[in-house]
Amino acid sequence: MWNLGDSKAMSSAFPNLPTPLDVSYSRLPDSFHRSAQRENPMHSLLPQPSSLGNSYSSSSSLPFDSQFSSVYPHERYPQNSPISMSPSGGKSLSHTHSELQSTPVASYPEENKDMSWCPDSIEEFLHFPENVPDQNGLVDTSTGAIISDDHAERTDWSDLYPLISFDGALDSNWELSVDNVVDPKPEVLNHSSDILVQQPNIQQHQPAQSGEIFTSPDPESTAPSTKARMRWTQELHEAFVEAVNQLGGSDRATPKGILNVMKVEGLTIYHVKSHLQKYRTAKYKPESSEGACEKNLTPVEEMNSKDLKTMGMTEALRLQVELQKQLHEQLETQRKLQLQIEEQAKYLEKMFEQQRKMEDNKVKPTSSTSDERNKIGTSTPMDEGSQDASLKQNAQEPATHENHDPPGDADSGALPTKRARTG
Amino acid sequence: MKFGKRLKHQMQETLPSWRDKFLSYDHLKKLVRLISSAPAMLIGKSGKAKAQFLYVLNNEIDKFNAFFMEREEDFIIRHEGLRQRIRKVTDTWGPNDSHSSKIMYENEVGKLRKDIVDLHGEMVLLVNYSNINYTGLAKILKKYDKRTGALLRLPFIQEILEQPFFTTDLISKLVKECEGTINTVFPVEEEEERKIEVREAMTVTGEGIFRNTVVALLTMQEIRRGSSTYSKYSLPPINLPADLDIIRLVQLNPSIPIV
Repeated sequence: MWNLGDSKAMSSAFPNLPTPLDVSYSRLPDSFHRSAQRENPMHSLLPQPSSLGNSYSSSSSLPFDSQFSSVYPHERYPQNSPISMSPSGGKSLSHTHSELQSTPVASYPEENKDMSWCPDSIEEFLHFPENVPDQNGLVDTSTGAIISDDHAERTDWSDLYPLISFDGALDSNWELSVDNVVDPKPEVLNHSSDILVQQPNIQQHQPAQSGEIFTSPDPESTAPSTKARMRWTQELHEAFVEAVNQLGGSDRATPKGILNVMKVEGLTIYHVKSHLQKYRTAKYKPESSEGACEKNLTPVEEMNSKDLKTMGMTEALRLQVELQKQLHEQLETQRKLQLQIEEQAKYLEKMFEQQRKMEDNKVKPTSSTSDERNKIGTSTPMDEGSQDASLKQNAQEPATHENHDPPGDADSGALPTKRARTG
Repeated sequence: MKFGKRLKHQMQETLPSWRDKFLSYDHLKKLVRLISSAPAMLIGKSGKAKAQFLYVLNNEIDKFNAFFMEREEDFIIRHEGLRQRIRKVTDTWGPNDSHSSKIMYENEVGKLRKDIVDLHGEMVLLVNYSNINYTGLAKILKKYDKRTGALLRLPFIQEILEQPFFTTDLISKLVKECEGTINTVFPVEEEEERKIEVREAMTVTGEGIFRNTVVALLTMQEIRRGSSTYSKYSLPPINLPADLDIIRLVQLNPSIPIV
């Protein structure tokens, strides 16, 4: 499998790089982790008005990360507009920009993390067109053959996704992502920007998305079409309500006024406006009719909702709550388990990596080899029940794709099967 | 039953405005099949195929995030609104001892109780929404890796874990708070009385949020029942508590055909 072979080559050259080409998006977890932290300043409030400023500086010190936070996952890959790699890239960027500005609100979901992007990251994108032609020139000759083949196969995709046109420019982009893997590294290293050095693969994607960056948000931008999605919290909402009350109620308060009173950095008038709208609707539309819109009321329920004194009603409600509580409990448990599973998988992957590295190092006798061996031997995984046992066993198997491990003793006998219970 | 079917079933039963917000599981499955059956697995071709796949996945995730955050905001507003309403009702009619105001109080509180319980239910259903979409994504990624031999699943899942739609902490907190609020407006009752009224109550269970919840619980149980691909990465079977014969009763109720 060329993947693994490649990974070996790459891991020796760039220990920090995610090895297989296929994992070109794996870079993003780091960035995402950073930008998607729940402690994001946008959530906190008045006590930390300058925290957003902090996030700005922190993201500027990690241009690589913040850049990729913008890349994923909001990407619309605007394959319709050919983002060519030529020096006219600057032009096409702005073209994309204007195109995206007309995107309707509903289809532009942005997290508030976007708030933390600093202007620096945008600049870095602009550097692209200059650097890219080098890559382009390098690889063009080799992609010729592949492109022609692709043309034949292309119809499949166009049928599936008629809206997305696969034009020549894009083909070369995708080819580039592959060819860069085998490119002589020194070429890449000559680039001034760190980002370009680290991720030749991502490079190809970035110009396609850099258009996105402009519309996303810079929250202080004056462009009215800035449509960043805000993630509201209870504290934020409380501050909102307070501001509204200060200004004389939801009818009299204006978005601008509320914005000024709240004094939350990063909050735009657009956010306040839409929130105010929701708030007003919730206030003046009685809750029951709101709920009724969602539900299909049967005649029985309708009758009972009028006859509110019946004990049956209260009991039905109690029942409902009980059931809902059960569901919630199960969901929480399930979520914890899912997180655990992924933790284990991540750990396993790390083990494989170390093992692979170890095997590479075996060629050159260094003292570090024994250190690594010790590391692998002594590091103990978290204790998470019977699933651990089978995982530990498999950890020794080299280069086994974790997903292909045989279904083992996951179904531990300890769990009593109550499948038949509820029929 | 396979996940795809279960998901479809859930989607059919779900609140109407939610129906198109779920994962396009079948579509993605077809895509994976298409990718893996591509005749000549040229390096270039697989690169494009992968990009296509990721494009669709990312769109789905965007969809989840947008919907989730919008609902979340809504719930925050409604929850706060209900709290205010409770305060108002107890202030206006609580202290007064006259018969008429007692009736008014009961009326208002009744409506209030219903609204709170429904809000609670909707919030839980949102958590369920998040979870079932996550499950679907995990499955699709696993399929993709299996079919194409790629290593996309692990890193991609790591990113998904950070997504707004999966970070349901806020909603869960709201749910707990809601439960507390519910306790304040519901009268304390004896255990026996409750059991007697359970049967009565069963007749009023119709459609809507309650039914949704039942379906969600059953679906979850089904999904975790075990399958041909049960592995150490699969979730263990679910244990619904012993005294939850509610579900069985609901199933027996002919007005609710739960498959």
